[in-house]
Amino acid sequence: MGKWMNKTVNPSIEPDSEDHILTEDLARLAEGAVDTAERQQLIGHLNRCQRCYQILQETLVDVSAEASMQPGSVPWWKTRMFYALAVSILLVLIIGGPLAIKHWTQRPPVILASLDLDQGLKDILLEDDALKWEKKERLNRLLTALQQRGFEVQELNLVLLSKPYYQKKSLFGPKEVLHIRIENKVAYLEVKEKD
Amino acid sequence: MDPEKILSSSDLLVKIETVCKRRFSAENDQNECYLYVIDSLKADNFKRLRAFKGKSKLDTYLYSLINALVIDFRRRQYGRRRIPAGVARLGKWAETVYRFVCWQKFTFDDAYDFLRIDGLYTGSYIEFIKEIEPIKKAPCRENPAFQSLEETGKSALKNINDQGANPLEFLIQKLDRERRIKAIKVIRATTAALPEEDQLLVRLVYGSDQSVPAAAKVIGLPASTAGKRLKRLLTKYREKLLAEGIREP
Repeated sequence: MGKWMNKTVNPSIEPDSEDHILTEDLARLAEGAVDTAERQQLIGHLNRCQRCYQILQETLVDVSAEASMQPGSVPWWKTRMFYALAVSILLVLIIGGPLAIKHWTQRPPVILASLDLDQGLKDILLEDDALKWEKKERLNRLLTALQQRGFEVQELNLVLLSKPYYQKKSLFGPKEVLHIRIENKVAYLEVKEKD
Repeated sequence: MDPEKILSSSDLLVKIETVCKRRFSAENDQNECYLYVIDSLKADNFKRLRAFKGKSKLDTYLYSLINALVIDFRRRQYGRRRIPAGVARLGKWAETVYRFVCWQKFTFDDAYDFLRIDGLYTGSYIEFIKEIEPIKKAPCRENPAFQSLEETGKSALKNINDQGANPLEFLIQKLDRERRIKAIKVIRATTAALPEEDQLLVRLVYGSDQSVPAAAKVIGLPASTAGKRLKRLLTKYREKLLAEGIREP
């Protein structure tokens, strides 16, 4: 603190009497929790008593230092964190908003296609006679096979087969076609003979 | 409220440690202060802690209580000290110089100015330098830099060079010795003539470097009103100083 002003204006004497301000009243004054009449009385004493003045001003230093160390001492809406969060949310809305609207408003694309049933696809179909495929390994094998054949499919969660597929005995039998419909990561498969 | 529980809490112990460290630079004094405060809080079956009525926050009460006890401790420390006989023989002015420089760690230059302001010494600076020779030879355990005429550097009372923070201090610092002494007398007289509330506001903000909001709370004013009042008061100080022919160099 400024040594000159400290020496110039601060009380330098202490009354001989023991009639000092009660500690709790000094604490209340530091908190601003006294009424007007009482405050006038206390201020009058503080201007003349070095001891009471010193306790008050040291208490103000301590309370202020402690408040500044506590994260909750600043109202939440005045913190930098709040403004940073608000700006982040705004940026996310500006950048991601149109994409999100598009995502939520547009119906997911449906893929419809017919493929000549080659040996690779037949192998996958012949693994077992289940009509509902849920095993990840089998789903991934079909997914890879479709991607290799030019399908833009990222993921399959389920495959539903219209009827079990069995190998045709005839070597020269009619060609077969696999009709595929993919919607919401579910593939509907049906094998038909080609006319 | 369980006083034993409060006294054993780490929170209170940290508070005591913090206050003692701030008030004393020597580690030994800090430790003695710490023990004194704890013993005093335990005394008479925790009488001082039991005196808390819940009218203020407990934390604020504890800080006020610790600070009061630290002041008592300091008094006891000072009370044990004796001004060396060689200094006391020179008179009251010499005792005051010894207190300022040895105990409060001001420089001899500062002490000369304070003596002049309080009317305890009327001689010139040259005479003062000659007359303090015996004081400089006196023992001083508290201040190893006692014999120096320079600023101690580690003074508990630091100078402020920021005009915005304390324009009156800034002005006083810039003045030469004679005008500084005159200015201090004007500021002291002007302060004494202010209403009680304004006096305390000036003391807290410009005498003790409290923040305006903290001082405003004590006075019972909104911070913005206290800030405006301080501006008005500074204008008054300026007018009084100008009337005495003191202006910023």
